[in-house]
Amino acid sequence: MTSDIQVQALPVQGRRRSIDFSWPTFALLTLVLSVLVLLPLFWLVYYSFRSDTGAGATFANYIALVADPTLLRAYGLAIGMALAVGVLACIIATPMAWLVARTDLPGRRTIRMLVTASFVTPPFLGAIAYEILAAPNSGIVNIMYRSVFGLEASEYLVNIYTFSGLVFAIACFTFPYVFTLVANALDKVPSDLEDASSILGGKSMTTLRKVTIPLVLPAMLAGTLIAILQALTMFGSPAILALPAGFHVITTKIWSLFQFPPRLGLAAAAALPLLIITVILLRAQKSILGRKGYTVLGGKSGTPRITELGPWKWPAIAFVFCVLSLTIILPYLAIIKTAFTGTVGDPINLSTLTLSHWRFVLFEFSATQLALRNTFLLGFLTATAVTAIALIVSYLVIRRSVPGSGFLGVLATAPVAIPGIVLGVGLFLSYANPTFQLYGTIWILLIAFMTIELPAGYQQMSSAFSGVHPELEEAGRIVGASRLRTLWDITAPLLRTSVVAAWCFVFVGTIRELSATILLTTANTKLVSVIIYDLNESGDLGAICVLGIILLAASFAVVFIANRVPVLGGSQMNTRG
Amino acid sequence: MAFLELDGLTKSYGSLTVVKGVNLAVDKGKLVCLLGPSGCGKTTTLRLIAGFVPANAGEIRVGGKTISSAHSTVPPEGRNMSMIFQSYALWPHMTVFENVAYGLKLRRLPQSEVTKSVRTILSATQLLPLENRYPGELSGGQQQRVSLARALVIKPEILLLDEPLSNLDANLREEMRFEIRRLHDEFRYTTVYVTHDQAEAMTTADMIVVMNDGRIEQAGSPEDIYERPETEFVARFIGGTNILSGTRGDKDSVVGEGGLVLRCGSGSTAASGKTAVSVRHHDIELSSAKPKSADTNVTVGTVTRQIYLGSHRDYLVSIAGGETVRTVAPVNVAIPVGQEVWLHFPPEKCRALAQ
Repeated sequence: MTSDIQVQALPVQGRRRSIDFSWPTFALLTLVLSVLVLLPLFWLVYYSFRSDTGAGATFANYIALVADPTLLRAYGLAIGMALAVGVLACIIATPMAWLVARTDLPGRRTIRMLVTASFVTPPFLGAIAYEILAAPNSGIVNIMYRSVFGLEASEYLVNIYTFSGLVFAIACFTFPYVFTLVANALDKVPSDLEDASSILGGKSMTTLRKVTIPLVLPAMLAGTLIAILQALTMFGSPAILALPAGFHVITTKIWSLFQFPPRLGLAAAAALPLLIITVILLRAQKSILGRKGYTVLGGKSGTPRITELGPWKWPAIAFVFCVLSLTIILPYLAIIKTAFTGTVGDPINLSTLTLSHWRFVLFEFSATQLALRNTFLLGFLTATAVTAIALIVSYLVIRRSVPGSGFLGVLATAPVAIPGIVLGVGLFLSYANPTFQLYGTIWILLIAFMTIELPAGYQQMSSAFSGVHPELEEAGRIVGASRLRTLWDITAPLLRTSVVAAWCFVFVGTIRELSATILLTTANTKLVSVIIYDLNESGDLGAICVLGIILLAASFAVVFIANRVPVLGGSQMNTRG
Repeated sequence: MAFLELDGLTKSYGSLTVVKGVNLAVDKGKLVCLLGPSGCGKTTTLRLIAGFVPANAGEIRVGGKTISSAHSTVPPEGRNMSMIFQSYALWPHMTVFENVAYGLKLRRLPQSEVTKSVRTILSATQLLPLENRYPGELSGGQQQRVSLARALVIKPEILLLDEPLSNLDANLREEMRFEIRRLHDEFRYTTVYVTHDQAEAMTTADMIVVMNDGRIEQAGSPEDIYERPETEFVARFIGGTNILSGTRGDKDSVVGEGGLVLRCGSGSTAASGKTAVSVRHHDIELSSAKPKSADTNVTVGTVTRQIYLGSHRDYLVSIAGGETVRTVAPVNVAIPVGQEVWLHFPPEKCRALAQ
């Protein structure tokens, strides 16, 4: 098919000759995305075949991968932990999603909002909150336990520095993935499917078992896989909780290979299986969700049927309250309390309230100001760059204006399969060499964040573009507007809301990133997330909580402003496609 | 010379050819309907005329000037056409007024003139009270009229309509058909109208072009198409018909498989081999006794289905040779299922079809 692009470039009777930017843009973007995505992967593979001691190609790293018991153990523990997290998240989230989507439970909207809001909590902050709550000596829960029962200082009720403690802390912050997917699926299962079962004689339990649950099963599985994937590739929480417990998971093990003496080749080889597992899990998730017509839905159908809980209302409320307390209320209270009192163990009264941590973080500790500046600068740059790239790529892909543009879409989506820590290794190997000398600058971090956030930005923009019917643009063309003019007058205003949303999403994602950052920062390019990690090493929990509150406040502020300021796309009109 | 000419127009996507050498000439001020089942290439033809897709072979000329050929395509914005889309494609972020004014603003007309033209067209389409509404606040019929107004206000050389009524409910659709014809009579733009609905085509068109499988089957006035179909496809597609196949008899007659001899008042039979005859449902005379007048064009059959429809009765009759004929009869001709019945096919209503 000859493209209408070449055609565009032809002189038009009596009109200005329009210059066509599609091809150069396409070429440039292909280059940029290839550098962002393919280059680190190339160096990763290359270094995995290089000996750490001398020059020359070797299989030693791969042999170590199967022979080194510490590596194998780290992989085993990581996989075990991830599976346990997946199961736990599923067990917590599914009943909760059902209660919220399909019953007359009071406060359903608030519960949903709270769970969604907990997406914003960086997992490492959650892990720290649980350190504050459940560390064997200093944990608030254990202190209260000892004082209530008058026990020795060595006694404790709960210990977060254990394998099960780690699973619990991670599950608290990954269950929203399962919850959101299942709740949305339950929303969409049309009530007439259930009515059809009832009219054929199915009792309500039979209907639930034979119709409703099978219909949301794909969403459950998909959500669980995502939770597993998150747990497997997470660096922050294991680093905070597993290291004091005396064991490594694979992400922390890879990180430890970067400590002196660095063993880069082994790190590269150790990172590759993680990449492969991620790809497999994502494929599995896609094939579960991709079988359309099974979960989907659509058409005219009534509101989902609501089950009346009756006497079960109170147990249900207790369950939901318990989950919300453990995952949101208690951690946040712990963080706020620690930020405003002298030490973790202090009781709360007027004499212990203090702003000393705030003073320390904002004025005394020199590293934090730099870190805050770096974090927000990088957040701003990444969000802007990713949104711009995603916008252009999705236009080229969705409108198919250049043959082969589908490839760009693949490139833009690919980083979703690269775990942060793996990307960190790849980028370190690509840019921390004499040619580029980017290590120690914020540019290597910018590259990392752009790569990590690109899939999310692209996904948002391309779904926004598919929401703009191509006929809206064609209508502009046929009454006399050029391609660029149409983009400016029609497409751009219609996309504005989505662009702002994508920007916020990327910004919030960037300022909490830790997995790749931890391998790529130096003293000059500290970020808030890294400072939090460093302060945790030195046990300065009060300062961490202050920084955590600042991060959260910034995230919520950005989302709030974007929703309210009309120029930025606050809903002031009815946008029908 | 015709105003809009398609000459051997061809379009393929990969190995799939969707428009296969279409030739068509449309005189200035005429409304032409491209009619056909979905997938017949009518919408692609329209998009070729609009310039949204380039042609692989052939040409499109307007007023003698080539605007599309295999080598070059004038972009849509350079064609001075306008189009009404299936989805209406009203810009949701602009008011009714802004939607309609957009094309005029692109032409750099002074503001006062823009306002005047927009108001004129809005009152012609009865939209003036709604000028400050957003499209999301309008009903389907009103959106449709905004779309018409937006297309007409720029005084296009050619107006294109792509299944404009398919999103409306049945009553509104009928009303809008007449509205489109009325606006055409008022403004007299050369118009190409794509539809799959034959009633829509009959109401609005000066000329109907029936398309099938990327080709034009037949082009002509609504009367031509209905009364003098050239092919079995056209006869079946426009109004229901019975197609009886057989071999060529002497002169103007066709001999069916069960021995039924049909003399045909019009059309032409195939030179050799199989040929067919088309008889409309309501042209067949049905009676319980053998008609005396005729010796050809008469056969006996058995009623296999009879339905009372209020204004008439709908019959299925199976005749010798295994064919089933559908026909309608007045309500008072009530013959129960299973009974023998006589069918008379008046020769002047039988049309011989070569293909």
